[in-house]
Amino acid sequence: MTSWRFVLKRVLLLVPVLLGVATFVFAILHLAPGDPARVIAGQRATTQQVVQVRQALGLDDPIWVQYLRYLGDVLRFDFGQSYVVQKGTPVLSILESRLPVTVELAFYGQILGILLGIPLGLLSAIKQDSVTDHLTRVGALTGISVPIYWSGPLVILLFAQYLDWLPATGRIDTAFDVTQVTGFITVDTLIHGNLAAFQSAALHMLLPAAVIGVYSMALISRMMRSSMLEVVRQDYMRTARAKGQGAKITMMKHGFRNALIPVVTVIGIQFGTLLGGAVLTETVFGIAGIGTLLVNAIQVGDYPVVQGTVLVFALLFTMVNLFVDVTYSYLDPRIQQ
Amino acid sequence: MSTETQTQSDATSRSFLDRLRASPFLSELLSNRLAVTGIVLILAMVLVAVFARSFFDVAAISQTKIGTNPNMAQPSWLGESALATQSYGTWAYPFGTDIQSRDIFVRVLYGAWLALKFGTITVGFSTLLGVGLGIVAAYYGDVTDNVIMRTMDVLLAFPSLLLALALVAIFGTGLWKVVIALTLVYTPRFARVVRGAALKVLEDEYIDASQALGATDVRVLVRHVLPNCLAPITVQSTLNFGLAIIDLAALSFLGFGAEPGTPSWGIMLANGVDHGLLTGAWWWSFFPGLFIALTVLGFNLLGDGMRDALDPRMRETVD
Repeated sequence: MTSWRFVLKRVLLLVPVLLGVATFVFAILHLAPGDPARVIAGQRATTQQVVQVRQALGLDDPIWVQYLRYLGDVLRFDFGQSYVVQKGTPVLSILESRLPVTVELAFYGQILGILLGIPLGLLSAIKQDSVTDHLTRVGALTGISVPIYWSGPLVILLFAQYLDWLPATGRIDTAFDVTQVTGFITVDTLIHGNLAAFQSAALHMLLPAAVIGVYSMALISRMMRSSMLEVVRQDYMRTARAKGQGAKITMMKHGFRNALIPVVTVIGIQFGTLLGGAVLTETVFGIAGIGTLLVNAIQVGDYPVVQGTVLVFALLFTMVNLFVDVTYSYLDPRIQQ
Repeated sequence: MSTETQTQSDATSRSFLDRLRASPFLSELLSNRLAVTGIVLILAMVLVAVFARSFFDVAAISQTKIGTNPNMAQPSWLGESALATQSYGTWAYPFGTDIQSRDIFVRVLYGAWLALKFGTITVGFSTLLGVGLGIVAAYYGDVTDNVIMRTMDVLLAFPSLLLALALVAIFGTGLWKVVIALTLVYTPRFARVVRGAALKVLEDEYIDASQALGATDVRVLVRHVLPNCLAPITVQSTLNFGLAIIDLAALSFLGFGAEPGTPSWGIMLANGVDHGLLTGAWWWSFFPGLFIALTVLGFNLLGDGMRDALDPRMRETVD
């Protein structure tokens, strides 16, 4: 059982880290070369506009006043306004419409990676040193060596250009007009009961999710294999067999369950890579998530948007790792000591 | 005097070579077919890079070449482009040409030089910085340790590519700025690995012995702690090399790294996606990406083999 004290301790340990994260994000604007007001207002702004921005944001105040105000704003989820990307719109509402897109993509990619990676790693370990094992291992290493911005264009060329089986870019056919409910397009189309739209959304999701999924599959299958090989040599496995339990049952009941523990950690750690991968995947497939938002905001120098996006990415990553730690302690209670 | 130094250095170098030859690590590594494949791939890439660096002029291959080369020709062994004004041989453009009539083959080869050069600099910087911080944190402990490692924790709280992007927002764009950004992104991993390894070494008695003999902190760290942490550092560097090459190209791909026109793999892939995808010009994206994948695969195979060779438990399973 997971004790609540452990969870509480983990959450409290997060406080200084999150404070550091917020400090770094605050510093982005002030470390960028030039006057922050000019940076925010943009290079082409008039002096009057710059003065306006400076007053509106209180950039004349001492830096520590600004810092404390920023921390207060962040606690209330107030990330300021966009100045270029969507002029005048609060950063929070831009993030609200964009975040589900990225989370949905990462989610399907991760599911694909888990569903393929765990059986492959297991197979590889059970048939250690066989041809299957070698092929899986080399395949996994190749999987993490192939950059997403290469596999993405290649699958588009193959499945969209030449074979014409799947759509190349976007999230859904432009003919469908889906009002946003949850922001997850595969869920929203179902809520509206529009099966044709759902099919279109699912088909659009297939290639980008597969590209992300292959990467995560490679990492998961490698960890699954080595963890399974480690577990197989444990005493409790021999004990179970000595007590007359069948090989298959021992493998699954004692082996597999224990081998899953380190795999859970890897799933958490590589979620960060997955988010980085989402940025690249969104760029390749022309999907308007927070990855393309960040890239766009950096290109045009929309600093409030950059700050908000980076902060949300870090929060997401931290939360997933917290969840993984708690799951880990549930699977392996020894970790709590 | 000078002869004496000579023989002395001879002796140390011979014993170093002997030690290397006798080490179970190296024989273990060389008996691993995948690791050897990795070494071969890396060496081949280094050869390509040095060749391209010595024979091609980077200014010339960065420029538009309308008039001399065919425009957007497919790889020449697939047949000549219909748009070509004059005929050329089967192997004239083995990787085809891009929209600005540049020979993709030459550019991809030169890309190897850029990738390896900037990859080495990035990994080198982050290794130095991370090793320094990790060792100091482990040795001095207490407040020093806390300040260093909590800072590293904050950096590790960001997904790596996103931290790199955030740093690019601070530093601005350009290949060198991207190198600095990625150096800071990778440093915490080295610091963590080295701190862990150093803490283990510091428990050993010979550390107490050398301190009792009056060795300075620097001497203890450089002569005793560092050499005993080399194994995990090497593995981490090798595995990080592949990552550095992927991330460097990724940032160029997103438009924050190399200048447009530069024969960097990331830029070539970006051009391929921007102009080549919908026209079906697959060769723009295919060849630069293939070279990235092969180089990274080489480092991953080698790094993996090194880790297996260093881990005695892995040796058990091989038997």
